[in-house]
Amino acid sequence: MTKEVLLRLESENQLALDDAQRDEIVAFMDAQNAEFEKLNAIDTENVERMVHVMPILTVVREDVMQKNFTRDELQAGAPETMDGYWQVPRLVE
Amino acid sequence: MKYETVIGLEVHVELATESKIFCSCSAKFGAEQNDHVCPACCGMPGMLPIVNKHVVDLGMTAGMMLNCDINRTTTFDKKSYYYPDLPCSYQTTQWFAPICVNGKVKINTSKGEKFIRIKQIHMEEDAGKLVHDDWTDTSLVDYNRTSVPLIEIVSQPDLSSAEEVLAYLERLRDLLRFAKVSDCRFEQGSMRCDVNLSIRPEGSDKLGVRTEMKNMNSLSAIERAIDYEVARHIDALENHTEELVQETRRWDDVKGKSYAMRTKETAGDYRYFPDPNIMPVVIDDEWFDSIKASLPEFPEVKKAKYIEELGLSEYDADQLTQSRAYCDCFEAALAESGMAKESANWIISDCAKALNRRQETADMLKINGKALGALIKLVSEDKVGRANAKKILDAMFEEDIDPLAYAEKNGFIVSNDTGAIEAVVKAVVDADPKSVADFKGGKEKALMALFGKCMKELKGNCNPQVLREILIECINKA
Amino acid sequence: MNLYIDKKDSAAAKNVVVDDMILTKDLATTAGSKMLEGYKSLFAAEVVEKLEGAGYTVSGKANVGELAIDLAGESSYFGATEVDGKLTNAASVIVKNEDVSGAVVLEVNGANMRSAAFSDLVLVKPTYGTVSRYGTIPAACSGETVSVMAKTVAQAHELLDTVAGYDCKDGTMHADEKCALIKSGAEFAPIKKVAIAKSLCDTADASKVDAFKAFLEKAGVEVTVVDAEVLTAASAAWSALMCAELCNNVSRYDGVKYGYRTKNYKNIDELYTNSRTEAFGMLLKSAILYGSDALSTSNYDKVYDKGLRVRRVISEYFASLFAEYDAVLIPVASKNEYTMADVEADRYISFKENRFTAPAMITGLPAVVVGGVQLVGKAFSENALLDLAEKYEKEGK
Repeated sequence: MTKEVLLRLESENQLALDDAQRDEIVAFMDAQNAEFEKLNAIDTENVERMVHVMPILTVVREDVMQKNFTRDELQAGAPETMDGYWQVPRLVE
Repeated sequence: MKYETVIGLEVHVELATESKIFCSCSAKFGAEQNDHVCPACCGMPGMLPIVNKHVVDLGMTAGMMLNCDINRTTTFDKKSYYYPDLPCSYQTTQWFAPICVNGKVKINTSKGEKFIRIKQIHMEEDAGKLVHDDWTDTSLVDYNRTSVPLIEIVSQPDLSSAEEVLAYLERLRDLLRFAKVSDCRFEQGSMRCDVNLSIRPEGSDKLGVRTEMKNMNSLSAIERAIDYEVARHIDALENHTEELVQETRRWDDVKGKSYAMRTKETAGDYRYFPDPNIMPVVIDDEWFDSIKASLPEFPEVKKAKYIEELGLSEYDADQLTQSRAYCDCFEAALAESGMAKESANWIISDCAKALNRRQETADMLKINGKALGALIKLVSEDKVGRANAKKILDAMFEEDIDPLAYAEKNGFIVSNDTGAIEAVVKAVVDADPKSVADFKGGKEKALMALFGKCMKELKGNCNPQVLREILIECINKA
Repeated sequence: MNLYIDKKDSAAAKNVVVDDMILTKDLATTAGSKMLEGYKSLFAAEVVEKLEGAGYTVSGKANVGELAIDLAGESSYFGATEVDGKLTNAASVIVKNEDVSGAVVLEVNGANMRSAAFSDLVLVKPTYGTVSRYGTIPAACSGETVSVMAKTVAQAHELLDTVAGYDCKDGTMHADEKCALIKSGAEFAPIKKVAIAKSLCDTADASKVDAFKAFLEKAGVEVTVVDAEVLTAASAAWSALMCAELCNNVSRYDGVKYGYRTKNYKNIDELYTNSRTEAFGMLLKSAILYGSDALSTSNYDKVYDKGLRVRRVISEYFASLFAEYDAVLIPVASKNEYTMADVEADRYISFKENRFTAPAMITGLPAVVVGGVQLVGKAFSENALLDLAEKYEKEGK
């Protein structure tokens, strides 16, 4: 793990670390990566990936509309709203 | 040097469902801001996605209409990026196993027929909408459109001109509307298009530098944007006015120019991975077959049938097959009445006028076709007069009524009581000796005036032919 | 010590606590994070509805480590929980010391299993997909499981009976008939053969496993030591999958819609970055960045996809063990107690300690913690595992 990659990851995840934190996280990630590399000893060439641990089929729902929440309830805990909209700094058009 | 243009399109189409793709909020257009929203739509934790079956139905339908192979096991994946219109900071889409692959669409242009290959169609959720407020210099977020179901139709780079692009988009629109997949309205954002474009010297097999224009939302803007981009690319190559770079551009239709977008909006790794909360959707034979069986005939197949088997004129057949709703209504009316030409006329003329008055389009015709057939029969059997039949049609636009019962209730049934008709006619003729004299003096118009008065007195409930005979007889006696 | 994030006075006969990864309507839910301080959900978790429907009162929200990925609650923004200087999470302290029927918790990275072991409680992490996750704070959805913690096996089983069962609001659930297999009264085959996972015992304090082994032998259960080297792969694989999912799941906390928003911003990027940077703790930040790296285009195949394949290898290894044995005995932690000094010396200790809990987490297999050890069984074998745990409770101590 390099600082350069870490800076990209920070920006991608909207986080900003200081240098001491970066050093700590680089060490953590190096350790995790080293652990993970040991898995290369397991041959997974012909192993199918396992996203879901149980063999369950999707249950689809019928196309029925329901309204269970009001705008006021949903915005009750909002940091900032205006006229029923959530409000954020202006995005450059 | 001569150049050729290479264009691939990514077309987003909002699906015609009642509810959203993963939650039960309304998917309808046009609500007040943040009215069609639940905790899931505004990124709150805890709700789990449950796939709306109708979204899969329509995804499959689109694929079948566009000659695609259907992936019988299809999965959903998550795509991560930060933007305020994306409440979870991820979009659920299909990356690894989209519902449809390998399709093709036939288009007709001035150069003839051509097939455009479809790479894939995937299902995904739409993002919300941002409104920019100049007074407060902020952006305002509306999540109504968040999680409205979309399909994205990705073409191969088989298109080579604005004309072909327009023909392709119109063909997609016709087919998807016909199959009731979407209303495909550019102006409401239910059909949008990203244009990937590059140019290369004619005959070269190397692709040029590609630029992408995102979220184009009108056919005329797409046409202008393509012409502009082609000119810009050629200018860059021939006159070295600028160096072409692979980038995303925004088209400003008012200024008639395209601009490079800020890199922050386009860069970044989307980090796709399979959504653990959505199990693979397995389309069994029964499901697959039921969708296959529900597919409509292509509009041109219907048109040929209407002309050859039903004897409609080319014009009438064209008019009817512009809308699936027209065709459905026509076929139901025909089945009930047995009269093709009459059924077509009522739809193309009377229904079209009514839709126009209501500011609705041909796709929005919702009247009961069987009832229309019954009404046509009532008119042809002289049970209801034409003027009253139009009133009944207007009522049919408001609610699903039985025309006969409605006619009876409102006194619209044609009377066969000649005695009563004669009495009315006599009274009208006696009261207007001037018109009688005018008619006898050779003024044909005077007869029409008398006829109109009689018909009005009779409330339209009289066979015009019968009335005309009785009227002339009565005038002759007078 | 902050045991409760929120609580209410209850004079009810049957009180239960839920941990702070489970949404409640009347009580706040924070996931142990400053990001969600004071957050009130508009809806309650399905398990809360089921508990209340069965006559339980949810009397409080037990503090958890931030997003429940730590050793035993030490990373909570609201403070660690200790008993006599030893770390153990809030749910375990409350269950141990207060008049409650037990706790219902979301198990993600073993913090509850370890705390149950540290506090000598019973924990059942049931088969994945038998208890609804509707209304739980998503962390690592492919493995996280609503679990129950109690003083006795009987209490744990009663809670499990209450919360298990199909819920159409969770698309990853088994049908109701399947869920019923884990409830009391369903038929089961008693455990006769147990395998002990040597590779994992080798790096742990052996006292608890030895004691349990002695009980098993006394009870006439055949005990075999198996090498189980494959299971040592679970930690690295689960850590990668968990962090990747976590990175994605917590990306929704951005200061826009609810929760913490920084005061210090001039544009949207500063709003996002400062809100998240100020509100998330170091362990969570590290997990986000590691998980993001695992999913990046250049690493996807060699990390995330590899992790998914290793998951199948581990699952198939368990299946091969269950062809011969009825359950696998695995330690829960390498030591029997931890202190703040341990986690101060190594913030990332849970990523090493999870080598004992990751095998059950990454496969979704049921695990029962009793007597400070865990028994992992085949899917839907909860009744058999609990039957053995109950025997231990009566005879083993």
